[in-house]
Amino acid sequence: MTEPLLSPLNPVPAAALALPAHHRRWLLWLVAAQVLFVLGVAVAGYATAALGRSITLQTEPVDPRDLLYGDHLRLRYQISELPGSLWRGSTLPRRKDAAYVLLEPQAAGVDYAAVGIYPEAPATTGQQVVLRGSVQDVWRRGLRLRYGLERYYVPETMNRQMRQRRRLRVQISIAPWGQARITQVDTLGAVR
Amino acid sequence: MSRKLLEMDGPEWVRRGVITEDQRAQLLALYPSEANAIGLLPLLGSLLVLLSALSVVAANWQSLPELLRLGLLLATLVAAYAGGEYFRRRGNTSLGMGLVALGLVVFGVSIVLTSQLYQLIGYDLTGLLAWAVAGMGLTWLYRSRLLFLLTVIISGIVQGYNTGQLGAFSYLTAAGTALGLGLYWWRRPDALLGGVLAGGLLWQAALLINHLHVKITWFFIPAMLVYALGDWQADRPAGRALQGPPLAAAFLFTLGLALFGESDFYAGQLRAPLVPYLAALVAVLALSVVGKQRRGRLSSATDWLLLLPGFYFTGGLPLAVATLVVLYAYSGSVLLRAHQEQNPDRVTLGTVLFVLTTAVAYFKLTWGFFDKSLFFLLGGLLLLSLSWWLQRRAARTLAAANAASASAASAAPKP
Repeated sequence: MTEPLLSPLNPVPAAALALPAHHRRWLLWLVAAQVLFVLGVAVAGYATAALGRSITLQTEPVDPRDLLYGDHLRLRYQISELPGSLWRGSTLPRRKDAAYVLLEPQAAGVDYAAVGIYPEAPATTGQQVVLRGSVQDVWRRGLRLRYGLERYYVPETMNRQMRQRRRLRVQISIAPWGQARITQVDTLGAVR
Repeated sequence: MSRKLLEMDGPEWVRRGVITEDQRAQLLALYPSEANAIGLLPLLGSLLVLLSALSVVAANWQSLPELLRLGLLLATLVAAYAGGEYFRRRGNTSLGMGLVALGLVVFGVSIVLTSQLYQLIGYDLTGLLAWAVAGMGLTWLYRSRLLFLLTVIISGIVQGYNTGQLGAFSYLTAAGTALGLGLYWWRRPDALLGGVLAGGLLWQAALLINHLHVKITWFFIPAMLVYALGDWQADRPAGRALQGPPLAAAFLFTLGLALFGESDFYAGQLRAPLVPYLAALVAVLALSVVGKQRRGRLSSATDWLLLLPGFYFTGGLPLAVATLVVLYAYSGSVLLRAHQEQNPDRVTLGTVLFVLTTAVAYFKLTWGFFDKSLFFLLGGLLLLSLSWWLQRRAARTLAAANAASASAASAAPKP
């Protein structure tokens, strides 16, 4: 648009030009709120890593070509698709329902695996943790879930290391208030 | 009138005795020049410095320490707002508002980059909603058209990201756009902002229809609600501008259906259940008509002809005929009203719509029957004669209008 938004014919009233004192105060609040919001995002991220419980999950093999398309990897976890037999609700799950996945470390390794999917947050014992997700898809024998952890913004250090499809081990921190974030990603063996 | 014209031609007017020197000075005082003491060269220079700083930061962004990155974002944010306020107070409004707008953009960028920094993507929509809310707050605070425009765009982006990437529709964002910006427009009616607001709301409505996987035609319920809001607006041009996008959407939809409707492969996604759809539409129609009646514009109710649900006819020919009837009813009514009101812009619009409809009708209804060359020959002749006839009518109407205004002017008492 070439036309100036404030043409001389459409001047701002003189009163609005210099904002009155209370407007200036409002502006100050508004800018402060924006700064605080950005800081809040940072603090939430930092606190989730510092105070949360750390677990590791395995992904399905990740395609290094994903990196060609941008700055992030698309991750598919082993717990992204789960058998319907793990569902512990009284009614059948539907798309966009919330789902709380109860995780337990496998006996052999350190990686966590799902032991149940609940419509409400279940109680945990010992080593168990709960990860919140939402149901994306339901079919006869299973569910596809989304956790909000499916994107990893790849730091420069890891960039372009991968040449082949590999499984990744993703370290995730789950805060006591349920928020989760990725804290670290390691590559496992290559997959043919 | 611009100050430039006044400065250039003013002395000539004084010389010819159109105005006195005193009046020229008074006129000049009505159009104060912007006190932009800032020269172009320093501005360009600082822009270059800024660009170089930006490229250095962007190139090394990944390797900067986290806290420094956060600090840079916040410092840019605060500096943009502070600079905007500084220049506004010095009377340099355009530059000031530009910087405030930049601050708003930096806020959105900060949210995104900070979330990426800490690998927070999450399923909650609050992060970007805050961006739209900040835009609305600034719009109300500064009463700025630029910020209004930017906020409509931001809300559209936020909603697009929500539905596209997060797989959720943010009803808060939609309601915020409709209420926060709608109320602003209602209080300070403006034609440009009306069109932009309607466009933004229709975009979000389309995203909602797509997200809910409901039949496409449900789209016209929210679209016509936007239209009805325009009927209640006291400011006529602003109201008309708000009604432009819904009408354009309805016209294009019907035109598309007339052209490509016979394939019917999307029939499963097209038709909303008849009774609930009609009930909702009639409710919106009633709302709109009451508004028209209150504001004394009942004649514009012919706009609703475009919403005749001709698309309930199925199959090739019946659907094409039904949609063409709808299109003809609408474009004919636009032409008729334009001639009654002797409004030259409307006459042009009506002519274009009518010719367009005729072209589509001819294409749809005769393609199969004619030899191709005969098809094009007759079609061309039809369009030529139609446009000739419409133009003649338009010329006659406008001549009558001019004559009427001329006689009115001559009949007016001389001062």
